[in-house]
Amino acid sequence: MSDVSLTIDGVEVTVPEGTTIWEAAARYGIEIPVLCHDPRLEPVGVCRICAVDVGERTLPAACVRHVEAGMNVITANTEITAHRRILTELMLSDQPEQSRREATTGDDSLYALARELKVSDFPWPDAKSSSNPPRGQDDSSPVIAVDHQACILCDRCVRACDDIQHNDVITRTGKGHSVRIGFDLDVPMAESSCVSCGECVAVCPTGALTHQFLGETS
Amino acid sequence: MKSFNPSESAAALAGITEVPTLCPYCGVGCALSYGVDADGTIHYARGRDGASNAERLCVKGRYGFDYAAHPQRLTKPLIRRESAYPRGPLSQFSQIDSSGPRKAGGIVDYTEVMPHFREASWEEALERIAEGFTRVRTNGGPHAMAGFGSAKGSNEEAYLFQKFMRTVIGTNNVDHCTRLCHASSVYALIEGIGSGAVTNVVRDIENAEVAILAGCNPTANHPVAASFMKQAAAAGTDLLAVNVRRPGIADYCSQYCQIKPGSDVAFYNAVMHVIIAEDLHDKAFIETRTEGFAELKAMVEEYPPAVGERLSGVPAEEIIAFARQLGQARSAMIFWGMGISQHVFGTDNARCLIALALLTGNIGRPGTGLHPLRGQNNVQGASDAGLIPMYYPGYQSVADAEVRKRFESLWGVDLPDTPGLTTAEITHAALEGDIRGLYCMGENPFLSDPDINRVREALASLDFLVVQDLFITETAEFADVILPASAFMEKCGTFTNTDRRVQKSQPVRQPPGEARQDWHILRDLAQRMGHDWNYPDESAVFDEFVKAAPLYANLSHTNIGETGRWYPCPHPDSQGERLLFADTFPIGRGRFVPAQLGTAPDLPDNDYPFILNTGRQLEHWHTGVMTRRSRALDAIAPKARVELHPDDARKLGVANEEWVELASRRGSVQVQALLTRDVAPGTLFLPMHFREAAANLLTSPALDPFGKIPEFKICAVAVNALSEVS
Ligand code: SF4
Repeated sequence: MSDVSLTIDGVEVTVPEGTTIWEAAARYGIEIPVLCHDPRLEPVGVCRICAVDVGERTLPAACVRHVEAGMNVITANTEITAHRRILTELMLSDQPEQSRREATTGDDSLYALARELKVSDFPWPDAKSSSNPPRGQDDSSPVIAVDHQACILCDRCVRACDDIQHNDVITRTGKGHSVRIGFDLDVPMAESSCVSCGECVAVCPTGALTHQFLGETS
Repeated sequence: MKSFNPSESAAALAGITEVPTLCPYCGVGCALSYGVDADGTIHYARGRDGASNAERLCVKGRYGFDYAAHPQRLTKPLIRRESAYPRGPLSQFSQIDSSGPRKAGGIVDYTEVMPHFREASWEEALERIAEGFTRVRTNGGPHAMAGFGSAKGSNEEAYLFQKFMRTVIGTNNVDHCTRLCHASSVYALIEGIGSGAVTNVVRDIENAEVAILAGCNPTANHPVAASFMKQAAAAGTDLLAVNVRRPGIADYCSQYCQIKPGSDVAFYNAVMHVIIAEDLHDKAFIETRTEGFAELKAMVEEYPPAVGERLSGVPAEEIIAFARQLGQARSAMIFWGMGISQHVFGTDNARCLIALALLTGNIGRPGTGLHPLRGQNNVQGASDAGLIPMYYPGYQSVADAEVRKRFESLWGVDLPDTPGLTTAEITHAALEGDIRGLYCMGENPFLSDPDINRVREALASLDFLVVQDLFITETAEFADVILPASAFMEKCGTFTNTDRRVQKSQPVRQPPGEARQDWHILRDLAQRMGHDWNYPDESAVFDEFVKAAPLYANLSHTNIGETGRWYPCPHPDSQGERLLFADTFPIGRGRFVPAQLGTAPDLPDNDYPFILNTGRQLEHWHTGVMTRRSRALDAIAPKARVELHPDDARKLGVANEEWVELASRRGSVQVQALLTRDVAPGTLFLPMHFREAAANLLTSPALDPFGKIPEFKICAVAVNALSEVS
């Protein structure tokens, strides 16, 4: 496989053909924010947070777009930041008031992104208080808490379950606004073929899949 | 949400440190970090990028960490009260005939047991132990003492425990639960290739065209290893499973052969028959790397596919397809588990798998190799450290005068020259009055050894029993002295996983109350008994172990670091060897050892028409001492159930979840039924973890003549519906 040279934020980079922009940047220490991607997973490009400017009419998602020779990639500018902020605000607009993830393992990527982008007030209606029915929770598992309201449908858990642990339990179900993740043929998690490995919790970027409180009793 | 105004940083992270260490459970040896607060409370586990897990964990590693903080932890030494003699079981469930639907199950009830002990100071407890051991030795000689170490302890603890038994007590009667899992595999491997450890790591399955999964159930017992097997299958590796009970991973296999219990030798001999008949064997490899092919060929000639079919129940054409798949593969790995090893002919079973690898030239190249999946997190290391009756550290024979001389000068004492007794032999010897004293560090033979009714008698017959553990185990109910020890997450030490990778744990919490580090207890006892043991810390113990065992040359706590290394490690900067025996075996040529199909000792008849198989399940660990005290694991899998085929259930009039009584020639248990087609008609499966339905009340104490491993997989039982119970 031949190598491809391009510039990312003014840095001259050379990577093997077929590398994504996100990977190429990561290899050179340039961090592009992203929610739906994890280096252990095949990228799907659904959250669009990693959008970058390659001089085209639209902003492609760096996690799926392959590098091209001579490409000039800008990973952050006013337009990109505005785009990221709006997406982040929209995702936050129907999040629960508190992130369970912040209270358990503390690594809520959506919250971290909102902090980084200095999101505070936003003009979008509160998606939870409009005519949309709440998305519901599944507390059937003794170890994994499922809060569909916090889910951003990034598919990380689906890929972790299928492609990392190969347990093939989690999938998507429903249509339109009611799309959510489901277990087996949409049964409660505890009744599904889930083996409680917790990989979905490990990869989830929000409070949608978190550990039940198991902390030791003293 | 209309606005975003959470605190500056996540609340959960304040005051929580992530400490890199290991999972305390299985031989996969997953690297993880515990998120711990200042009080040593563990809040969560996070997978690290370890060589064997790549951030993955299973339910035990992810959620089973809270047992160390269980309120039943022992915090003070305990001494048996005078009123509690004659020695016997103290809790209801450890008595005879005590299982059933109307009795609460679960862990040892302290309210029943505690009144029979009194708290003591360490000074008093250690003095009493030193006296007790000395008394047994004076009355019956050093070989009246025996010790059970543990594959849950570190290499350092295993090394010191065997050193204690050999130098302070003066006997080779020291063993641990490896005897109950892979002793036969290790015997066959040392005989066949000269090394008892795996020849290649699990994750190299990604380079294998074919992988055989023989008598193992990795999705339950080595879950993260199983994830790499399934990943390889998704990328094109053909997995071939052979088992008596359908393992979960069969869903990902290109072929699954369900053999009759105990027919492994017939099946593999027939496979080898086909490989030779169809000229699929690796003649160059056989010629240059092996010996004994003619004998093997003569043996497997007696097993054409039709004979294989008759004996194993697998149709001849499936045997042929299996043989072709393996014979034509350019690379194949062979994994095996307790379904191979835990038989009276376990060594013969393992010999067949080794022969299969030698016959097809599948050792020493990427994507090839022999891999007995080791069970406990440190069963490999405990054996390496000499926690076995016939070897000093590094598999150096105690019967070899020259080796013995070397150890005598290293340890500065005279050493006994006869190999000691193995686990089950120690129980037998106790019953016969030859073993009078027992030191049990982290083992629970009451539940883990076959034929509990005999074990109960054996423990009751002892003159002196010391148990060193986290909790009052069923075994500890018989003890004269119980010492409160330290849990995995309270100690620093090295642990060697199934891949031969030596990795280091870190303490994240303090032992509760007066509980002490196991190695401190050993050191203090040795000093009290007149031996000048001085180790500044765990790494000094490890250094002495390395000096004793060239197998671990070039390793130290410093270079093992947070990521670990494989042994053998050719020089201090090397990562160690992933793949062994590319050019030669430690014994030069690999040896074919032909095996003839044997007969199990406890076969069904009219009175006991079923065959009972015992084993493990995903959420639990061995005798349940840890996992049944983990809230999460206990909540997911709170009770024992015996697997029964629906056709048999119909004949017996048993519905799912209904109670049945299982009776063998030695004992009986009452347990709920789980109807499943995973087991073959006429066979049952009962997990070993639950004391209220203790599988080992039923099992037979017969042993494999070479590995001295008990027959845990075949025992004749009768099944009766307990219809009066709802
Ligand atoms: S696979 Fe084994 S080592 Fe890994 S998390 Fe599970 S029990 Fe622990």
